[in-house]
Amino acid sequence: MTSKEIFAKLHEVAFNPKQQLNQYLADGKKVVLVTYYTPNEIIHSMGLVPMGVWGADIQLNQSKKYFPAFICSIMQSILELGINGTYKGASALVVPSLCDSLKCIGQNWKYAVKDIPFIPMSYPQNRKPDYGKRFTKAGYERVISDLEAITGAHFSDDNLRVSNHIYNEHNAVMREFAEVASEYEVSAQERSDVFKSAWFMLPEEHTTLVKELIERLKEGPKDSRKVRVLVSGILADAPQLLELFEKYGIKVAFDDVCDESRQYKKDVPETIQNPMDGLVEKFCSMDDDTLLYDADKKRVDYIVTEAQKHHAEGVIVLMTKFCDPEEFDYVPIKRACEKAGLHQVNIEVDRQMVNYEQAATQLEAFSELF
Amino acid sequence: MAEEVKKQRPAPDPNSAKMRLRKIAADAYSDAVEAKKRGELVGWCSSNFPVEIPETLGLTVCYPENQAAGIAARGGGERMCSEAESEGYSNDICAYARISLAYMKLKSAPEQDMPLPDYVLCANNICNCMIKWYENIAKELNIPMIMIDIPFNPDYEVSEAEIDYIEAQMWDAIHQLEKITGHKWSDEKFRQVQQISGRASKAWLDATATARYVPSPFNGFDLLNHMAVMVTARGKEEAAEAMDKLNSEYEENHLNGTSTFHAEEKYRIMFEGIACWPWLRVTSTGLKGRGINMVTTIYADAFGFIYKDFRDMCRAYAEVPNCMNIEHARDKRVRLCKDNHVEGLLVHTNRSCKLWSGFMPEMSRQIGKECNIPVVSFDGDQADPRNFSEAQYDTRVQGLMEIMDTNKEAK
Ligand code: SF4
Ligand code: SF4
Repeated sequence: MTSKEIFAKLHEVAFNPKQQLNQYLADGKKVVLVTYYTPNEIIHSMGLVPMGVWGADIQLNQSKKYFPAFICSIMQSILELGINGTYKGASALVVPSLCDSLKCIGQNWKYAVKDIPFIPMSYPQNRKPDYGKRFTKAGYERVISDLEAITGAHFSDDNLRVSNHIYNEHNAVMREFAEVASEYEVSAQERSDVFKSAWFMLPEEHTTLVKELIERLKEGPKDSRKVRVLVSGILADAPQLLELFEKYGIKVAFDDVCDESRQYKKDVPETIQNPMDGLVEKFCSMDDDTLLYDADKKRVDYIVTEAQKHHAEGVIVLMTKFCDPEEFDYVPIKRACEKAGLHQVNIEVDRQMVNYEQAATQLEAFSELF
Repeated sequence: MAEEVKKQRPAPDPNSAKMRLRKIAADAYSDAVEAKKRGELVGWCSSNFPVEIPETLGLTVCYPENQAAGIAARGGGERMCSEAESEGYSNDICAYARISLAYMKLKSAPEQDMPLPDYVLCANNICNCMIKWYENIAKELNIPMIMIDIPFNPDYEVSEAEIDYIEAQMWDAIHQLEKITGHKWSDEKFRQVQQISGRASKAWLDATATARYVPSPFNGFDLLNHMAVMVTARGKEEAAEAMDKLNSEYEENHLNGTSTFHAEEKYRIMFEGIACWPWLRVTSTGLKGRGINMVTTIYADAFGFIYKDFRDMCRAYAEVPNCMNIEHARDKRVRLCKDNHVEGLLVHTNRSCKLWSGFMPEMSRQIGKECNIPVVSFDGDQADPRNFSEAQYDTRVQGLMEIMDTNKEAK
């Protein structure tokens, strides 16, 4: 396949998660909905298909009966889609309690979407000491027993070892893609499609496509745009927004986006004999993230370093409205960028956004700084 | 024109529970200022951090949430929030955090001063917003942050795995603090603190439970003020004594047929949420003017820190209001409503507090159903005055009253 063909396929998947869900169900598979840092390796190892939920750009109606207006639109729209039957057929929803809104969604979900059970995943914030690791393991064991009870599937260490490997391979491919996409000609939409589609496909299927894509891209031209940026945020997938990147000649040199590169930073160390301990180690070694406790705010330095490493002279913070963890981090990020001589801009985004005029004005002015 | 006659109020009795509690709360700030002057290290502490730890270690700590409430109640909320916003903080962030971050920058506020911290003590059993807020303080002031992670409990009971995790962190926190401050942990001192905190908690529970009497011997708005001492000083002897006194005063009121609710108690409601500090008077008179007494709030239950030992204390800290799942949180409120003959529920949909408000619509529906009482909510904010509308509050309270009236007639 040519790169255009692969991109088209991934675009199709990225924009039709419902079709993917139905296809997996039609193939006799059980699908488990997953969100932030869920143990997808475990789900996969039990023969279930983990499918990401990040909400959608839709009008909110019924979710308003549960959430007040000042909860982020990602949680609101996930609940809306749950209520309106979009996820019908899925076996369960797994949500970690890493921010206050994530804590709330499960409690609402239990009453709003009765046909899809909610499985909580409790992660430790103090994840480095041994006691944090033990607590992570207890959380995983709870997810396993809930999944076994709900789906009838079984867990085994051997299968987890295999899945850990498959996920590590996918991580590596996604990291490589991010680098290649930084160097070669890839549009913001194409880049987003590659990351987004990963949420709706089995990792082994996705790995194959992205590997081939990387090869094709390397045969193509290098990117020559001079406005190179690092994009940071929870999501960066709104097509109208991505179009503006093209319009103003902005190249995404790297990202610190939650549903993009943040997912692929850490692997399961396969040298650890017990695959469950390995998976625990993966979570506990994670850093540089809004949702993971970090008194030193290393995430801020991470953003500056990655921007510099990828020859980006600016940082675009895409701020999901009502996302308080990210809102807290913005101030130190802004200060660090200023100190490092990086341009920065904070653009508020929202799943219900219809008007991109303000974003356009901001991006246009921003692009002129370079 | 009739001449205005000013009622001569009797001078407050310094021995009354109210005055004692007020003094304890005020002393907490002046003690901290003094300690800082003496060159001692002072910590900032989140409201549901195990106070037993600083108390046993003999540390001086201040409570930013309390300070923010005080600043907001005295009219400084908007000024301080705007200050934080000018630094780049979104106005969606909890107003306590905004006020506190502004204070860190300005280093003083006429409404309520407090020394800047040498370390911060954070527990996220009330919210994860707390983590981000304290991270920013620790980073900006370059001071150590001690973090006890008490995860939101999705189940009814606290699991052994969670208690193990919390207990290990508590010891870790103690050892870190020993290193930072040079103070030493003593099991014996801990047992004393545990005993005092248990006594204060029991007196608080008893005092708030006098709302079972009809009419209630107190105005529920009292609790919003008195709880400051439960937050900050429940491990101190004088707090336990003042709480005992509060309880005996309420019992006496009942015997004498008096109350701190200075109006005829026609309706009894539960108030859900943090007070709207900038609008305390408006929200209070909106009820009192209609003969509505707020007889209970979840705070009545929230400070029941009675536990057997250190490990049991770890469990207790995982059972604070914002840490519980919807069923457990609901049942606690249902019990308060039933025990205290509550006829209506008034919910503060608090713009600042995502966790408190994030599943409140569903939970309050369930409470209303279970207790067969009307539920009405209003929009507000505990510290940013801009998020409250007096007119909306008035209409909603009036609506609640009318349903309670209809229910009474039907009886
Ligand atoms: S991290 Fe932000 S966007 Fe994600 S659920 Fe929490 S508040 Fe919403
Ligand atoms: S008001 Fe809510 S968000 Fe703010 S500190 Fe308190 S619990 Fe946390």
